[in-house]
Parts: sequence; structure tokens; C-alpha cells
Amino acid sequence: MIDIAGVLAANFLYVILITLGGVLVSGSVHFVPVGGAPAAMAQATGIGTGTVQLAAGAGLTGLVTAGAMLNVTDSIALILAAGMVGAMIMIGVTMMVGNLVYVYGVGVPPASAKVDYDPITKDRQDIYVSQGTEGHGLPTVSFVSGIIGGGLGGIGGALVYYSLMSIANGMASADFIGLAAIFAVGIFFVNAVIPSYNIGGTIEGFHDPKFKKWPKAVVTSLIVTFMCAIVSVITIGGL
Amino acid sequence: MEPLIGMGVLALMGAAATIAGASEDLESDVGSQSNPNSQVQLAPQMMYPHRIFNKAISGEPPSNALIAAVGGASASVLMSAYSMSVVFAIAVGALIAAGIHGTYATTAYLGRSASQKRFRQPIYLDMVRSHVPVMMGFAYITTFCILVVSYLMTSVLAHPFPLTLLAFIWGITIGAVGSSTGDVHYGAEREFQNVEFGSGLNAANSGNIVRKAECGLRNGIDNSWFCAKFGGPLTGLAFGMVVFLSGWITTIFDPSMGANIGWLAIVAGLAIILILVLGNRRLEVFARKQYGPYKEDEEVTA
Repeated sequence: MIDIAGVLAANFLYVILITLGGVLVSGSVHFVPVGGAPAAMAQATGIGTGTVQLAAGAGLTGLVTAGAMLNVTDSIALILAAGMVGAMIMIGVTMMVGNLVYVYGVGVPPASAKVDYDPITKDRQDIYVSQGTEGHGLPTVSFVSGIIGGGLGGIGGALVYYSLMSIANGMASADFIGLAAIFAVGIFFVNAVIPSYNIGGTIEGFHDPKFKKWPKAVVTSLIVTFMCAIVSVITIGGL
Repeated sequence: MEPLIGMGVLALMGAAATIAGASEDLESDVGSQSNPNSQVQLAPQMMYPHRIFNKAISGEPPSNALIAAVGGASASVLMSAYSMSVVFAIAVGALIAAGIHGTYATTAYLGRSASQKRFRQPIYLDMVRSHVPVMMGFAYITTFCILVVSYLMTSVLAHPFPLTLLAFIWGITIGAVGSSTGDVHYGAEREFQNVEFGSGLNAANSGNIVRKAECGLRNGIDNSWFCAKFGGPLTGLAFGMVVFLSGWITTIFDPSMGANIGWLAIVAGLAIILILVLGNRRLEVFARKQYGPYKEDEEVTA
């Protein structure tokens, strides 16, 4: 019989940290410029795929690098930084190569339809938007926003994994790592899905008006991840 | 581990990942999976019946995660329970994954096309015979290469995650990369060659996809022939870079030698990201100069 109260009391710090990691993930997704199918047709600014898929792709790459780092060091700062850098590299490379396709394959310049001037480079945007579209490609502001989003998501995923790996239990090492990683992937997916209701298909980054809705996703994520954290801590701690 | 061995393994992983990325994108071009599929699905409703395979079930990342995880689980079982050699186990695992991919590609095509009967979209049975083996072939190459990457990470680079989980994660990532990069070439360029190059794609053109090929009616294999020249290789480059660069920083600056070297790995990663941001900015400036604005600046002309 699992001593649920005892396991929870001993690991309450990790419940809090897992919740914090989940909240970071759900906040980070708002930074990632996604345009869904319209962006793949060069009809909207952003990366031509869905929110959840892209956030998961970036965050899980971060989880792989964080997992490799946790194998050789105990420093939490280093593990979180490894997760951050892994996710940022994945999303940076994807955006860069995506832009190559827009420029050389489709023949359109990167442009945003949500702002007249790029907040970072101060370049004029509206005259570079082709007729009948809502922008295309990834202008600098969206690129930087995506890098920030990837980084925050990577930190969040790594924090969840680190917390799960810190719970005391009687499992063999290989089983423990597998189970913790699967829980981390699950919690990551839950928190990548929640913001997609705010985003509703497309978002260009932190300059997009939809970005202001992020507190709603964070509150939802706080509740959902807290429940996920309790279940995962009891499961891992009780085995 | 010897640094040179680490670099050699990393180079092999990068090469396998590059092949996996290219074959993943070409597989999705033959089957019209993921984003461009919205136009293929829409075309008959806009009175443009076509002869293009149509199989978006749940997008590229989950689809690739499924075949990679099936392949990884099969290969793991063959290696641990039957003591099969690594190369043989990975080959058989990829074969099982390709079989499962072929099964759901068939059911997806028949189901999707049947649901469009009211728009007079025909079901071409010969397309099942010609396209599904091609998709299975590409799926086999993708899964095989992902399993090679995952196996090298677990056995040589001593990554703690199990083989199946690594295959699953790389399956999600390769789908996300392919869906973000290769799809643009197929969706905006190949499907809409009836609009002028560089004009952008007006939303009013949605569903009006090109249905005639260089010879006869266009099909999915024609699309992969076209995308193999640019979209596929670039997707391969992107996934290869993700795998190579994310491993490169910790191979050069091995964190097991001490925390300070670990931090150097992070700094190297941040430097790579800075180079990507600056490279993207150069590309943006080039495109703006090359293509120019689409309309006159109203403030100047007024």
C-alpha cells in the first residue's frame, strides 16, 4: 500500500517545481510564431505547422539535451541551461531553414501583417505583405520571439524532468529514467496544448495582439499541472 | 570517451539525420500529409477534383513519432529478448514500422477520398498500388535512420533515455521540422505554380491547386520528384543540423569533465543561436532588396 500522504509530504517541493515547469511551458508557447496550414501556403506569418507540434518538437529536443546533462552533473542550473539551449537550437534551425524556403523556394520576403514596423529592426512591414495574404515568412521580431519561446519551453521541460528525477523511490535506474522521461513528455504535451486555445491557429510572436491572452493559459496550466504533478509524484515516489 | 570517437559518432548521427529528414519530407510529399493537405482536401469542394494522394491523419509529428516508436520498440525487443545483431534488429524494426505506415496510408486514402464522393472526387485504386509502396519505402528509410541515431546515442554517447523513447522524441522532432520547412515548398510552390513566382499566394486562390503534371495528370509521385530538388534536401539539412548541433556542443565541451566545461558548452550553444539570428537577419535584408515592396509607400505617393 502506498503511503500517499507521506510521499506527497516528502516531495512537496518537487510538486511545486513541476507545476512551475509546466507553467513555463504553457507561457513559452505564446512566443513561438506559428502559422499553421496558412503559413505553409505562405498566406500567414510564422512557421508552417501547428502550435503543439512545433512546441513539442523544440521542447523535447531540449529534454534530450537536459537528460544527457543530468546523466553527468548534479547542477540544476546547468541542466536547465542545457534544456534551454537544446530547444533554442531546434527552433532556431527550423526557423532559419524555413525562411530559406520562403525566400528561395516561394520568392516572398519575410513580412509581418500585425505591425507596420518591426519592433526590433524598425523596418517597414506592410508594403512587403503580398496581396490577399496576412504576411509570410519569419521577420526578425518573430524569429527572436521564437528563440525566447523555445528557451523558456526548454527550461520548463528540463525543470519537470529534473524534479521527477529527484524523487526518492525503489526503482531500478533504467526504469526510473524511462518513467520520469515519459511523465515529463506527457506534462510537456498537456502544457503545449492548453495555449493553442488562446492562439487559435496563428500567432506571430510577442508583438501579436493574441499574446496578451497568455495569463489565461498560465492560470489553466497552473491547475492542470498541479494535478499532473501530484499524480506523477505519487506514482514515482510509491514505486 | 575519446573526443575523436565522439566526433566520429556525431558525424555519423548527423549524416543519418540528414537522410532521415530528406526522406521524411519526400514521404509526406508523396502522401500529401500535413499542412498542404488542407488544399488537397479542399480542392474537390471548389470543383477541382484531382489525382493526388491524400492522407493527413494527424499531422507529421504524431505520424512519425508512431512509426519511430514502433520501430524502436521492435528493435529493442529483438536485441534484448532474441539477442539479434544491432543492424538486423534495426532493419527489422524499420520494416515493421513501414508495414504499419503502409496500412494506415491505405485506409486513410480510401476513407478520405470516399468522404468526398458528393464532390465527385474519384477513388483511384491504381494510386494505392503505385503510391503506398513509395511511401513505405521512404518511411522505412526515415525510421531506419532515426533508429541509427537513437541507437548511437544510447550505446556510444551513453544517453540515459531508453532507445524507444529517444526514437519517439526524434520522431516528433523530425515531423515538426519537416512540417515547418519542407511543407512550405510543396504547399506554396508546387501546388500553386499557376500563380506567378514571388507574387505570394492570395487567399482567394485556396483550393485552386495545379492538377496537371509535366506529363498527364499530376499525382503525389510527381510532387516528390519536384520537392526532391529543394524542399526535401533542406528538410534534411534542418534535421541534420538539429541533431548535430545539439550534440556537438556537449561533445566538444564534455560536461562530465567538470561544471566549468559544461558551462562552456552552453556558451557555445548560445553562440550558435546568435549566428542563426544574424544569418536570418541577413536573409531578410537580402529578400527585401531582391524582391522589393509589393506596393508603393502610401505616405510618399500621397
